[in-house]
Amino acid sequence: MNQDTKNSFLSRKAKIHFALWVLLLGFFTSIQAQTNLSVSGQIQDETGEPLMGASIIEAGTTNGTTTDFDGNFQLDMTSGNTIEISYLGYVSQTIQISENTSMPLKVILQEDSFALDAVEIVAVGYGTMRKSDLTGAISTVSEKDLTRGTLTSTEQVLQGRVSGLVVTQDTGDPSTGSSLRLRGGTSLTASNNPLVVVDGVPGVDINTVQPADIKTIDVLKDASATAIYGSRGANGVIIITTKGASKGFSVTYNGFAGVSYASNNLDLLSANQWRAYVRENNLTDAIDFGGDTNWQEELQQTAFNQTHTISINSGQEMGGFRGTVGYLNKEGIVKTTDLQRLNANISGYQYALDKALKFDIGLFANMEEWNPLDYRIFERAYNLNPTIPVHDENGAFTSVGGTLYENPVEILTNRTVKSKRNRLLGYFKTEINFWNNFQAVVNLSLEHNATNGNTYKPTYAVLEGMTENGYAQKTYGEYTNSQLETYINYTKAFGKSNLNAMVGYSFLQNDYEGFGAQRSGFETDLFGYNNLGAGQDYRLGDVYSYRGRSNLVSFFGRVNYAYDSRYMVTATVRKDGSSRFGANNKWGIFPSASVAWNITNESFLNESSWLNTLKLRAGYGVTGNQDGIGEYKSLSILGVGQDSYYDPVTDSWSLAYSPVQNPNPDLKWESTSQVNIGVDFRIFQRLWGSIEWYSKYTEDLLYTYEVPQPPYLVGTMLANVGELSNKGLEMTLNANLVSNDKFNWNTNVTFAKNKQKIEKLSNQVYETDIIYSGSLHGLSGMSNQFSQIIKEGYPVGTFWGYENYGLDDNGEFILSEEKTAIGDVQPDFTIGFGMNASYGNFDASIAGYGSFGQEVLNATNMMLYDGNRMPAYNVPDDFLGSGINSAPTFSDYWIEDASFFRLQNVTVGYTMPFENSNSKIRFYLMGENLAVFTSYKGVDPEVNLTGLTNPGIDRFNNYPRPRTFSLGLNLTIGN
Amino acid sequence: MIQKAIRMKTRNKIVLYSLLWLGFSCTNLDEHLYDRVKDDEFGSAPNEVEALVGGAYSSLRGFRDDISNSFPTCEYVFFLNEVVSDEATIPTRGTDWFDGGQYQDAQRHQWNSDNGMILSAWRYCYAGIAKVNSIIYQIDQSGLSEDEKEPIYAELRAVRAYYYYTLLDMFGNVPVVTDFEDQGLPSNSSRAEVYAFVETELLESLPFLQDGIAYSKFTKNVGYALLARLYLNSEAFIGTPRWQDCIDMCQNISGYTLNPDFFANFATQNQTSSEIILAIPYDSDAGTVGNYLSSMTYHYLHAYTVSPTANYPWCGNGICAQPGAYSMFDDADYRKASLLAGEQINIATGSVLIMDSGEPLIYTEEIHEFTDAFQNEGVRLAKYEVLPGENWERDHDWVVIRYSEILMMQAECYVRMGAPELAAPFVSQVRSRAGMDTPALIDLDFINKELLREFAFEGRRRTDNIRFGTFFEPWWEKESTPEYRALFPIPTSVLSANTNLTQNPGY
Repeated sequence: MNQDTKNSFLSRKAKIHFALWVLLLGFFTSIQAQTNLSVSGQIQDETGEPLMGASIIEAGTTNGTTTDFDGNFQLDMTSGNTIEISYLGYVSQTIQISENTSMPLKVILQEDSFALDAVEIVAVGYGTMRKSDLTGAISTVSEKDLTRGTLTSTEQVLQGRVSGLVVTQDTGDPSTGSSLRLRGGTSLTASNNPLVVVDGVPGVDINTVQPADIKTIDVLKDASATAIYGSRGANGVIIITTKGASKGFSVTYNGFAGVSYASNNLDLLSANQWRAYVRENNLTDAIDFGGDTNWQEELQQTAFNQTHTISINSGQEMGGFRGTVGYLNKEGIVKTTDLQRLNANISGYQYALDKALKFDIGLFANMEEWNPLDYRIFERAYNLNPTIPVHDENGAFTSVGGTLYENPVEILTNRTVKSKRNRLLGYFKTEINFWNNFQAVVNLSLEHNATNGNTYKPTYAVLEGMTENGYAQKTYGEYTNSQLETYINYTKAFGKSNLNAMVGYSFLQNDYEGFGAQRSGFETDLFGYNNLGAGQDYRLGDVYSYRGRSNLVSFFGRVNYAYDSRYMVTATVRKDGSSRFGANNKWGIFPSASVAWNITNESFLNESSWLNTLKLRAGYGVTGNQDGIGEYKSLSILGVGQDSYYDPVTDSWSLAYSPVQNPNPDLKWESTSQVNIGVDFRIFQRLWGSIEWYSKYTEDLLYTYEVPQPPYLVGTMLANVGELSNKGLEMTLNANLVSNDKFNWNTNVTFAKNKQKIEKLSNQVYETDIIYSGSLHGLSGMSNQFSQIIKEGYPVGTFWGYENYGLDDNGEFILSEEKTAIGDVQPDFTIGFGMNASYGNFDASIAGYGSFGQEVLNATNMMLYDGNRMPAYNVPDDFLGSGINSAPTFSDYWIEDASFFRLQNVTVGYTMPFENSNSKIRFYLMGENLAVFTSYKGVDPEVNLTGLTNPGIDRFNNYPRPRTFSLGLNLTIGN
Repeated sequence: MIQKAIRMKTRNKIVLYSLLWLGFSCTNLDEHLYDRVKDDEFGSAPNEVEALVGGAYSSLRGFRDDISNSFPTCEYVFFLNEVVSDEATIPTRGTDWFDGGQYQDAQRHQWNSDNGMILSAWRYCYAGIAKVNSIIYQIDQSGLSEDEKEPIYAELRAVRAYYYYTLLDMFGNVPVVTDFEDQGLPSNSSRAEVYAFVETELLESLPFLQDGIAYSKFTKNVGYALLARLYLNSEAFIGTPRWQDCIDMCQNISGYTLNPDFFANFATQNQTSSEIILAIPYDSDAGTVGNYLSSMTYHYLHAYTVSPTANYPWCGNGICAQPGAYSMFDDADYRKASLLAGEQINIATGSVLIMDSGEPLIYTEEIHEFTDAFQNEGVRLAKYEVLPGENWERDHDWVVIRYSEILMMQAECYVRMGAPELAAPFVSQVRSRAGMDTPALIDLDFINKELLREFAFEGRRRTDNIRFGTFFEPWWEKESTPEYRALFPIPTSVLSANTNLTQNPGY
């Protein structure tokens, strides 16, 4: 029996069902059944996967057993009796057994879709739990949600699927990443991106793993769930579990190809409209260049994309592997932009020592290559007079002098820019079972990311190339995270109680380094960026390199206790020490506690016909964010760089060594405490979901505060000062509308609301009344101008400016005397919507997401609706009727409600099964970004709201989002 | 079975001990530095001391931070001192150069304590002071002997006195901090106290400063010149005239002559000029930052007047001469070329450049509307040499004190002391180099105008305007100015960060 118990730890599934299993075993050992027949067999699920821990009970008796690792069982029983085979989440079966029954039995259990969430396994960090035992707020996106679309990045997988998680792809450029924000931002300085954990390795770049390799994504939202990740948990944690190897054999191919075009452009005057305007207004000075150019379209193309992924899985009892190779080639709808990616990964498992020992390895690698875009082209495309032809009569690019007036097609064409990135993640995990109830895990991992940039602007290129007489640059940067994580799990069941305890240690070392070089003054353009030595002008700073290192050391533990599946308590603690923290604050402690009450397991509700699940959860925890502290920020340091000085004796220059920052030995993490109260429910079997309420309070906000100088050495200083709060409500609702043999129809809706407020910006040492942000610097006439404030009582991204009362007789804005708060970028609420249906072999799905109530500064229009522009500079169609005849002025006139709902994805598919095998083939047609419902006047209402520098400011960086139609094929060959 | 049990026990022990070893093997949180150095690990060897002192000199070029460009050669320190004077202006051209009205406010003498240029100037000075204080502290900690330290201290104190002199001139009642280790929040000193501090620092440093000429270094000559400036403005600063003291200091200065070619002082290789007493050196190859004033004044298309392939940095069409300044120059005055007026020719085609409005590019003295000027209006600062293929960061050194200023200071003092005849020998040197005669009667009005002609756009006109009192009179696009505006207000954010400070009177 001990041996069996031990074995039960050997696989994930066994571990999951351990608690149940122990209970059953304790029960069965006391039974002395009268037997006259021995029945044996194997229990499988629909895919042929053996089910371990399924219970087999002789009906009407207390005689029974459970299946082992391979789903096998053996039971002595009375002939003629029936056995009941049950397994959580599956429909139970009853089979009558007699001497005539053919042995061994092969029983296939059908999934019970209603009960699935009860057995859903959720990764909680350093372990897993059954969803029904959870005490914290965790949302899960499973494989089923991932297979529908033509997803090309892991962030997109999460878009609109998890309540409270906002995913924004900054532009339509295929090479730009997305920003993620959970439950409002908690930091002014640091990244607000959640911590990403891949197969147990924390802190991994989310795009190391491709969507095709993902099995589940668990999003840990509240502090009681994320506190186990301590000083990195404040923005939530995204735990990605990859598919890994499984028993059996299969080869899968997924591929799709599609075309994209710009979903929207600004309506600017055409050449004819421009000419009509010039005629009507008798503008004799206006220069008609004789062409007819739509500059936005000249920059764009119909883009093609294709993606292919092949996976092989082969697994036996003692070991197996899974490998994937993928290729992606995605053109952008702006010429020259693209993304190419080659990815490969392999993972495997191996048991040893009577299955007391298990090894897991995983290796994920990908290479990306893309052409970065010079975003200055968009403003010029809006500026240029539509009568200017792209090329002159000699075929050369037309060049009309003027400020911000360079030919954007020329900018796009006359330069070579190429970037490459390699990502590598490898881990080796060992699990050892000992002393019956203990399991030790050691996970060694290494993540290595390297980026390489190359630029050449030829001698004839506008913007820099010409003035520098050719300009070449190469840069290289890399980082390596070496990590050791080790922890021990203890599981014990006694009576109706289940206890799980875990303690662990982790050591992370981050090393980064890089170098770059640039030269200008080239005699020939032949070399491009490949021969920097050929550039004759050399300046200080043209060659640089850097290197740094930081360590994070952690001790952590968790206790989880459940009584009778009715009451659950979880407590965690983590102690984090970071080399980045100041000498006075090297270690931080992050505790949490949470409780849950599964009311439906109480006897008084057991028999309810309509209320299937009702569970209350409450938790409190403290988490941190240490992203805002770079290496060495707490120290008193001398730097050397641009600081050179002249020696008149030798007529030469030397480098000065100067202090670069104020030392801050008190520097530490930002600390967020959070209360979360949640309800999970399921009614009438068909409607289920969760409601969460939370209140987060962040202290010790990191910011580069202005400090009096002297006594401070430098006028600004990174310090922990302010406080901010986020409060919100989240809802997830799933419904199974129709479910029968042929027709299945499910829908899900997510809803989230967050309210943010800066609570404090000063403490005893630092006094700050107001911080100006949302810089408009770089816009004509807006140098050193700010559009937003950070101020106590307001959320981050509050616009601060004049109110506009209309236009006077001269077309000038009538503005208020004083500046005031005129809107903010925080959405009132966000929603996600998904629906999928299948009828026979056909399937269809729809997905969309929306954000409502956020206000955005349409700085693009603010600059384009300028009375001075015509006739030299183009204007929007709507400008002509607007009556505006003023220079660009920042006021609430340009603050727009950017609420939107985007119909992101519609897919229709058909699956052809092959007889008597697990092989199948599926074709599908998909449309992406099919419609946007909004009243926003700019190119796209989905303006990046994250970050501190320019949240919610639409300013000429309008790479339009593509509309894409794709055709795809999934093929699985397996046994 | 027993054997198996023992095996298992052994295994369990190994597992446990291994985990314990792994768990406590490393809790070291020290930071390893690779590409920078802790301040206590650098500064004992002589070459290291030199590299530290070099930092005091490099600080004179200013810096760029998240909010401002605090460069004395350009944005915004230079802009501020010039735009509030009678020789320069930054008109709003369409949308360009509006920038929240900060230049309009400066022109009209309506600035408030939120003006970004004022903050830049404050930061420029105090960043330099804080840096010098820290270098003095480090020298103090170094292993040098007291004899070795003395001249270094003197040089550093002189650099710091230059910053305090600038603060005395612009802000008046500022905190005086000299001790790096003093972590308390300072309060204001009165303008008289700051004045006395600057004087004492310079006087105490003088004996240890280097003799003779050492280009760009704070030598004895520089010390004398700074004291002369202090005494010249003594009446304006603290109400006590010290004209004779100014003359005495000027006469201590030796080894300099007027350069026969006025513009040699502003050539790209101006370090060879015999006239420059103090300059801030620039060399773009050495990575110096902030020196792109030419780009701030010329029209967007100006590159075509310099190079047939427009091989010249982008120009922003900003600061230009205030109407009236250009006509103060006689046509025969060699120095009139300090300002550029007239048609601008595309040297590739030989024809006049056409702006995007369709109009020809002709720099005019007249500016028809300050808040909506045409692109071509305002004559441009052309003192410094312009070469095709130049880098954005120009190579000419920024001239702070020229020998002609020493001559003009003495002339002014004699006029003010009622002895204009004694002024003539000084003035005539300056005038004859410019190809001009010296008038029989030298009065203050003449000196005032001559200062503009000689030192146009050298960043010191505001001080002259205040000393001559013209600052408070109406001029182009400016009403009369109340007396309190002779000082700038302490910036709002500075007051908010240090509540021990009080605002200057009037603001």
